[in-house]
Amino acid sequence: MIEMLEIEKLKFSYDDKNTIIDEINLAINQQEFTAIIGPNGSGKSTLLKNISNLFTPDSGAIYLNSKNLNRIQPRELAQKMSVVPQDTNLSFNFTVYDIVMMGRHPYQGRWGRVQDRDREKVEEALALTDTRQFRDRDLNSLSGGERQRVIIARALAQDPEILLLDEPTSSLDINYQREIFDLLSYLNQEKNLTILVVSHDLNLSSQYCSRLILIDRGRIFAGGSPQEVLTEENIGQVYQTEVKVRQNYLTGRPYVVLMPGRAECVPARLQQDFKIHLISGGGTGQELLQQFYERNYHISCGVLNQGDSDWELARRLGCEIVDIAPFSYIEESDLQRNREKIEEADLVVVAELPFGHGNLKNLEQLTGFSDKQIFLLQEKSIAERDYTGGQAAKLWQQLLDFPMTRVFTGQQQLLEQIDEMADQTGDCS
Amino acid sequence: MQIKHKYFIVILGTLAAVIISFIIALVHGSTDIPLRTVIQALFSAEGDLARYAIIIRRIRLPRIALSFLVGSGLALAGVVFQGVIRNPMVDPYIVGISAGAGTAVTFVIVYNLSFSLFYFSTIPLFAFVGALLTVMLVYNLARVGSKIPVMTFLLAGVATAFMLDAVRSFVMVLGTQDLQRVVFWLMGSLSGTSWSDITMILPYYLLGLLPIIFFANDLNLILMGEESAHHLGLNVEKVKKLLIAGATLVTAAVVAVSGSIGFIGLVVPHIARLLIGPDHRKLLPLAAVLGGVFLMLSDMLARSLLPPLEIPVGIITALVGGPYFIYLLRRRKSESW
Repeated sequence: MIEMLEIEKLKFSYDDKNTIIDEINLAINQQEFTAIIGPNGSGKSTLLKNISNLFTPDSGAIYLNSKNLNRIQPRELAQKMSVVPQDTNLSFNFTVYDIVMMGRHPYQGRWGRVQDRDREKVEEALALTDTRQFRDRDLNSLSGGERQRVIIARALAQDPEILLLDEPTSSLDINYQREIFDLLSYLNQEKNLTILVVSHDLNLSSQYCSRLILIDRGRIFAGGSPQEVLTEENIGQVYQTEVKVRQNYLTGRPYVVLMPGRAECVPARLQQDFKIHLISGGGTGQELLQQFYERNYHISCGVLNQGDSDWELARRLGCEIVDIAPFSYIEESDLQRNREKIEEADLVVVAELPFGHGNLKNLEQLTGFSDKQIFLLQEKSIAERDYTGGQAAKLWQQLLDFPMTRVFTGQQQLLEQIDEMADQTGDCS
Repeated sequence: MQIKHKYFIVILGTLAAVIISFIIALVHGSTDIPLRTVIQALFSAEGDLARYAIIIRRIRLPRIALSFLVGSGLALAGVVFQGVIRNPMVDPYIVGISAGAGTAVTFVIVYNLSFSLFYFSTIPLFAFVGALLTVMLVYNLARVGSKIPVMTFLLAGVATAFMLDAVRSFVMVLGTQDLQRVVFWLMGSLSGTSWSDITMILPYYLLGLLPIIFFANDLNLILMGEESAHHLGLNVEKVKKLLIAGATLVTAAVVAVSGSIGFIGLVVPHIARLLIGPDHRKLLPLAAVLGGVFLMLSDMLARSLLPPLEIPVGIITALVGGPYFIYLLRRRKSESW
């Protein structure tokens, strides 16, 4: 294997304070197809800009065919190395042919006289990238993928030994992503072109490149074959996120599967798997109902008088309601229906409602569920809401003594706690 | 084939325009002279023709030549600035060059600093120094890291021009005895042109033209973006500096004799680009010729519209160029130019 590019103890920073590249040593051999991967801000694009001589290293050196890159004349360098930059937007109406012909600049005289050899190379580049049909079109009239191919054609017209690409597919749809990487793969294998690509797409890099370099905070974290680099540990450490690495059965290459965090539990919620039974009345449950509804919890409401404002809202939101006629007292049969709902529920929430003799039975019934998860909302003390001469307060105290009961002095904390609970209850594997 | 055809028509049309406007400019003036007499007076100054010979040879010809030089110079500088900055809204005036050159020339006029140094007159030299200092200032003000965002460049240019205008006004207040001369110069005028004006600016003009011709093709690469140009083997910083210096020198030279003539550097490059496309190897010569023709005709109008009064030609170019530019803006649909 012949070494093409050698990076030796490279250091670079934009200003003196923040080191972007912190000593990188790397050798790229001829005909390698290498991807530099790494998180945002890891320095991978900066590394590429050092390699393409756009930036000069603070210390260390880069050698191309054993020659110090910074000492090669721009023209000579452009004959050996071509670069496809990240941004290929142009605000000028040059035709595709003109643009690809600009790739011949390093070989042309002062005024760009076109020789036969230039025409041949341009035709070859257009053919390779399948852009011949666009030759007379303006670059801006092409789609993103087509435009990218034209810029690659221009790079190929430079007849380089090594091709550098900075995020060539970052703004493209998957069909174009495949198209571009298929093209690169072809150029690498059939035209013996050495290719170095900076990419944030781990899977694309893994499927196509023979070698990956994982950069983290300006240093090489890992390098080698995709199997060696794309491990769950490496990615977990560099990207600080949990992933699973599987194998693509067709190519044998690893591919990275993202493991969603909290988001995974949302489907459980979406299916309304988390059931809340709310005991409220007189408008004290309105905001809770609204919040539960928005969070897609399964809501049932404990014995409510018809016509009550909570009852109205619950009905509009389509909740299950155990209700009784206006101004009537709670009967045993109502309590039976309510008991079923309480038993079904994952959680019982008691809003901050006043208790009178009419609804005291709601509270009384709860004292029969000592092992149920019960959340009590209590901003004002129970004494202020007790219109039963101390009976309600006594029952309340009884509830407080249960091991599964929790008291919240604010709605926000209550809701957060419920969300957390719901996430754990969901089907999170 | 069709594209070749189009170039041919454009070249023929431009040549015809040059010849026709040259003739019209010779014939029309504060007094109209018949074409026949004009031709006779060019070759003979005998008898009755003596009067016409003086008008034609000493007054109109140098003036036509100068108007062509000034017009083409401003158009060239416009093309170069638009290319280097990669923005169509730039022209030598917006960048602050003419303000810089103008302030310097005002100093020269008010403090009588004009003298001849060897062969070179000092007025264009001062204009150039003023212009170059201004461009460097604007350029550095606008620089963000290694890039020059168009927006900051324009803003820096406008702000600098305002400050320089203030300085100039102040100098004018101090030197009231020269006020009229300065004001007329500021309005942009080619009146009182003689051959010596042309010989005065020509060396600077040609010197400034050199890098523009030399790097015409490289300017195309810069249009691709500076990074791309770098990757295509261009020493971008060097080329950019030389191009800006060249365009500044040309602008300074013409501003020194003509004062501020607006809109040519903005409008003519646009028209030329519409006709022939963005390739600077073709665009620059075409813009130069069109700019020359445009100012030649504008100056003809300035001379002949209200005889014996002369309208400052800057007023005419602004009145013609402004509306046309607005028309272009309204018509433009795509983002490219």
